[in-house]
Amino acid sequence: MPRARRRAVFTVLFRAGTVLALLLVLSPAVWLLGGVVAKAVPHWQWNVLWTNLRGEDGGLLGPIVGTLVLMAGVLLIAGSVGVLAGIHLAELGRPGRHGGPGGTWLRMASDVLAGFPSIVLGYVGYVALVVGLHWEFSLLPALLVLSVMVVPYIAKATETALRQVPVSYREGAEALGMSMGHSMRKVVLKSAAPGIVTGLLIGLAIAGGETAPLLFTAGFSSTVWTGSLVHSQGFGYLTYLVYQFWSYPVKHANYLSYDAGLILVVMVLLLLVAARVIVARTQRHSEYRGR
Amino acid sequence: MPADVPGSRSERTEGAARPGGVASAPEGGPSQAVDSVLDALDPDRDRPANVIETHGLGLSFGSKPVLSSIDMQFGRGTITALIGPTGSGKSTFLRSLNRMNDKVVGFRHEGDATLDGRSIWDPGTDLLDLRRRVGMLFQRPNPFPMSIRDNVVAGVRAHRIAKGKQLDVVAEQRLRKVGLWDAVKDRLHDTPFRLSGGQQQLLCLARALAVGPDVLLLDEPTSSLDPISTEYIEAMLAELVPALTLIVVTHNLGQARRVSHRTMFFYDGQLVEQGPTEDLFERPTNLQTERYVMGRFG
Repeated sequence: MPRARRRAVFTVLFRAGTVLALLLVLSPAVWLLGGVVAKAVPHWQWNVLWTNLRGEDGGLLGPIVGTLVLMAGVLLIAGSVGVLAGIHLAELGRPGRHGGPGGTWLRMASDVLAGFPSIVLGYVGYVALVVGLHWEFSLLPALLVLSVMVVPYIAKATETALRQVPVSYREGAEALGMSMGHSMRKVVLKSAAPGIVTGLLIGLAIAGGETAPLLFTAGFSSTVWTGSLVHSQGFGYLTYLVYQFWSYPVKHANYLSYDAGLILVVMVLLLLVAARVIVARTQRHSEYRGR
Repeated sequence: MPADVPGSRSERTEGAARPGGVASAPEGGPSQAVDSVLDALDPDRDRPANVIETHGLGLSFGSKPVLSSIDMQFGRGTITALIGPTGSGKSTFLRSLNRMNDKVVGFRHEGDATLDGRSIWDPGTDLLDLRRRVGMLFQRPNPFPMSIRDNVVAGVRAHRIAKGKQLDVVAEQRLRKVGLWDAVKDRLHDTPFRLSGGQQQLLCLARALAVGPDVLLLDEPTSSLDPISTEYIEAMLAELVPALTLIVVTHNLGQARRVSHRTMFFYDGQLVEQGPTEDLFERPTNLQTERYVMGRFG
């Protein structure tokens, strides 16, 4: 076969391969989204958003509040710890040896943590916090376990994003006599914002979508979260209902299961939109915009 | 243009009567009285004639020496060009003067460099203030990812020199100073990355000037620019003296000749020859210098 022809055939095959990969990624996403919408919308009633759950009856107010509180808490705890850890790994210490004192250990610990099965972390949380510290099923142990789970992702995303900030920005800031803190806040973090926001987004999505570790730490209860961090004898969250009510022999419970799924999907979509808005705002003066 | 200001500030300081020396001056008369008044108004009158001096300055990265025993004085209000082939150590020398090399792994220095008579490595020297006083312009324009106006005042904010509405005044003033105001006044809040390369470099110059430096280090400031921008920036440099002292690393021998009062020739980590630009180019005393300025090697 002549070379030109061989190249043409190769190009066609390669294109077909990329299109196939794209379809493989897209179709489950579309299928899931469509499935949840198709199952939930026909019987959708807005009052599930503000009605309390009573047994397998009523609405989803408690679980919605629970999931939102979990997300906010994880954003607060894992967000700050993860971003700070990422800054430590990327910025401190001498150049060429990123992470400064303990950097290598921190990075290794973070990688090990990221590889832990979530249910194991949940069980550890149960033994150490729920039983060991007598906190019972409540918000704080759930938050801590979820945070431990997502900190590695946020730290890694932050570190990677910071390392991609062009050296010329840092040098420019340094040469102007900006302190490290000032150049971090005003120049470097802004430029790294898209990567950091993506990390936080993954963290939040995990916080909203996890079930296994929550079974061990949050338990479940149909009452609305009372505002207590410990000793609350469990609280509700959406994923539990998706899992528990789906196979219930009661029609309304099945409906609630699909409603919970739909609400979770919408929450994640809203998060994505929020992230896009934040990124667009921080990047409106970016060198790389529109590429 | 440089011909109008040959070493002006240092020459004046040396030539003019200093306060206290007035009485013993050989000739009296009204002009002398005016001179002494002017001299008293000169904010630099109590400062050393040389802004920066290096004394036996040697630099190395790890076990690799990059420069050895450089003795040099940079007169206030002059332009000095640093020339030499790639790897001769001129950029390293330049970047040491505002301590940009300090963080490089294995960087060590011996000897000393002083700013207004005080060691830049003195423990009492505030690194951030040193860098405010010794500004820098890089080879490639490096505006920050923020609006044009915020770029100009970025350093002003960091050093808390001005705030609020004053920042707008500072921004306008500095943009006018570099001749960029008319081009950007209607898009102060836009990204700087749509400006041309030359305009970006002028923006970086405005940013460096905004914090009120005494010295500006320029690391091949025009090597990534087109000829017209280059010419413009060269003219701009001539206007900055004698208020500022400029030290310019350049590969462009014509540029060194056009803009500088003194030239230093580096070769293989040594300061081979330095002197008034005219002399160094016309009557080099060293064979290597002669070959380099004649374009025999580069």
